[in-house]
Amino acid sequence: MPAADSDDEYIQTISDEEGDAHRVSNGRRRGDRSTGGRGRNVRAAGFEVSRTWEALEEGVDGTISGAIEGLLDATKRKRATKDTTPFQRGIIRHLILILDLSEAMLEKDLRPSRHLLTLHYAQDFVREYFEQNPISQLGIVGMLDGKAERISDMSGNPEEHVSALQAWRDKQPSGNPSLQNALDMARGALFHAPSHGTREVLVIFGAIYTVDPGDIHDTIKALVLANITCTVVGLSAEVAICRTLVTKTNPSMNPQLAYSVALDETHYRELFMAATTPPPIAAANHQPERDDTGGTLLQMGFPSRIVTPYPSLCACHSQVTRDGYLCPRCNSKACSLPSECRVCGFTLILSTHLARSYHHLFPLLNWYEVTWNMARSQSPSQKHCFACQTSFPEIPTEQSLAEAESRKKKASGLAAAKQPTAVVGRSEQAGTRVLNSSSRPQATHIEGISESGRYGCPTCQTHFCIDCDVFSHAETHNCPGCLAKVGLDHGYGDSDGMDIDASSITKPNGIGNKMTDKDVYGDILKGLEKLLVGVS
Amino acid sequence: MASRMDELDASEHYTKESEDAAPVLLNIILDTNPIAWAYLSDTLPLPKVVAALLVFINAHLAFNQANKISVIASHVDRAEFLYPTITPSEVQSNEANEMDTVMQNARNGHDTAADDANFYRPFATIASSLNDALRKLFAKTPPSALSNSTTALAGAMTLALAHANKLIVELTPDRSTNPAVITSSALTAPTALHSRILVLSASPASPHQYIPLMNAIFASARLSIPIDVLALTPTSSTFLQQASSTTNGIFLTLQYPHGLLQTLLQAFLPSLPSRGYLVPATQSAVDFRAACFCHRKVVDVGYVCSICLSIFCEPPEGAICFTCGTKLRLQDYGKKPVVTVRKKKRKRQEGDNGVATPSGRMTPAA
Repeated sequence: MPAADSDDEYIQTISDEEGDAHRVSNGRRRGDRSTGGRGRNVRAAGFEVSRTWEALEEGVDGTISGAIEGLLDATKRKRATKDTTPFQRGIIRHLILILDLSEAMLEKDLRPSRHLLTLHYAQDFVREYFEQNPISQLGIVGMLDGKAERISDMSGNPEEHVSALQAWRDKQPSGNPSLQNALDMARGALFHAPSHGTREVLVIFGAIYTVDPGDIHDTIKALVLANITCTVVGLSAEVAICRTLVTKTNPSMNPQLAYSVALDETHYRELFMAATTPPPIAAANHQPERDDTGGTLLQMGFPSRIVTPYPSLCACHSQVTRDGYLCPRCNSKACSLPSECRVCGFTLILSTHLARSYHHLFPLLNWYEVTWNMARSQSPSQKHCFACQTSFPEIPTEQSLAEAESRKKKASGLAAAKQPTAVVGRSEQAGTRVLNSSSRPQATHIEGISESGRYGCPTCQTHFCIDCDVFSHAETHNCPGCLAKVGLDHGYGDSDGMDIDASSITKPNGIGNKMTDKDVYGDILKGLEKLLVGVS
Repeated sequence: MASRMDELDASEHYTKESEDAAPVLLNIILDTNPIAWAYLSDTLPLPKVVAALLVFINAHLAFNQANKISVIASHVDRAEFLYPTITPSEVQSNEANEMDTVMQNARNGHDTAADDANFYRPFATIASSLNDALRKLFAKTPPSALSNSTTALAGAMTLALAHANKLIVELTPDRSTNPAVITSSALTAPTALHSRILVLSASPASPHQYIPLMNAIFASARLSIPIDVLALTPTSSTFLQQASSTTNGIFLTLQYPHGLLQTLLQAFLPSLPSRGYLVPATQSAVDFRAACFCHRKVVDVGYVCSICLSIFCEPPEGAICFTCGTKLRLQDYGKKPVVTVRKKKRKRQEGDNGVATPSGRMTPAA
């Protein structure tokens, strides 16, 4: 992949300019050289790790397609396997997103440029954030020209934020960033956030310096006092002040998780999007004077959607509409939910919005990798993915398995003999990774990947293919196997102390009761017979 | 260098536009609850519905050669693919067995539709395999399963979504390789396959399935797969109403059982792109009110626990949430709206006769 090499050079040349650009920076360039150098090393290592062809040439006796697929599958599944311990999470969030709009964002090490990519990801972030946290609030602040600029106000409407961000596409980033000003503005915006919700700040920091009017440590102290947690995504290198900020404001969280520097576009996206998942509430967060739990009983309105034969003005935008939602308290019309009633200030939501957050509270258990032996013993008759009907690879006989094992051992012996030449010139980390995959030549041994291509649900023992595994965990949060067999559990993790009995969450208005009446039962069986005759 | 990269970027992302040719995958979820069908047997027997459904399926397949279909039974004790079928039992049964059934059909005088020269072959295979699968499904339903009054609707929906997702992943290779693309373009990118779900519902969904059903609904909203619902009985589930309204689908209650085929063809046949040009026949008012967890009362003003989001119709006793056991702080719920304190009225002088009633306050000057 010659592209990798040229990329390396490319970054190198840019970084020189970067150095020039940052010389204006008021002398706050501590750790620039050293940390910057490290960041680049990591980046370089990242490129080298992706030279998978070298790893594949070694070791494998026949084709390499299996190994490639295995690597691809590993990346897929990495996204899907998450911690499924049900945490008490802050479902009602108040987050300020601080975007760096200083001239450091003009750099093009992230393509097309840091600025454009950030705005693009920020829009995705807004959508995803409200998808995951429908009853939360968000505000966006920008850092440019040494001051903080409000991009959008605290609100629960994704469209407002997205259009505000789109307006910034035409403007050029300029000047120096001021972390202190931005944090102060964020603190002001979060000041009125009710105590039952979280107060968070997410900083996207492209520069490696900050130009502040006062002592930023005072601001950090104020943030700690106000119970605001800050997380930072860096774009160039780790900066000491960000590290301090993160460590001080996240007393319980692993600071390594709260501040990381993006290696490339994909990694940047991952880091950015990680903030859409509601954060677990740490026990330490509940201070004694705050009633020892963060729980509050909130009053909310559940309006129904109405359509009137004649158009009327909505209370929120003064637009003429025929459909809308009537506030149950004051009967004024809102055109989209969730929102606050403009007239009486009542929180209006749909019950579906609440339901949207349930999967954070009851995550789907991770599925286990099925080995050939398990596949043979557990469900020899299942030859297809239960959900999508794709056929699984044939289960080999025990004999052929044993043969393959012995062949593998020989091959790995050979590979180990070759290894030293192959590792030359590689960084430590890349070398070890390559070693791992080459000493185990088949795709089947990559971490988290099943040799039989099957993944089993621990609850219903049904087997699925990798695509359905990823899809079920990332999108539906349902196990098709458990749900397709009524009477089983639904495959959700046991939630400590907050086990909601699914049956208690009921909605329908008592329909269908008459269907279970005893005296109808005879008819049913008769009807069933009739059906059987009829269908044929 | 950057400009060259920009160009590359653009060419990669914006050249693919073949909106018309994109095939449509139609997932039909058929409620096969025997109890419900027994009730309906006088007005709308299942065989008639299946016959109408087959015409509908054929019409769908005739639109585009690449159109796909899947039929999933939402049965009392399981959810199962009716078409395409690769059930384990079928795979195991050897060819002799297959031959047997064919022979049997021939002997019994059933048409082996697949061999009918006057029947377009793909239509014939679907018709015969759907009938077979339905018969098998009813044959292996144990009488004990009939104590269930509801069906595995959430399971059927999850199966349909997984099936659709697999086909989408297969047809758009970039998605499976680049992890960044999977999430970013899920909503916006032109997919190689449009998919939608049609639910023929005859019995109400079980409240036990609320969470999985909602999960399935949101997943299909994210994949922009609309869920169309045709409720065959007027007592339809509020879940399904919410499903279709959340996913921009069509919700209809069948009013004239004889017009089933017409309803299907007119309301549900148009594909997603063409729906933009039509006035969809859907129900617009949706009941979004929630039922409280404590008394199952349907409320429009409720109290929500901020930890587990359970809904109560009134503040629970002792302010402790039933579901998660957290001690909740109560707020001032504005039960008594703040009213400006009115000053005591001055005693009106008796002999005034209302000639001059000076109102205490003047209207504010404009």
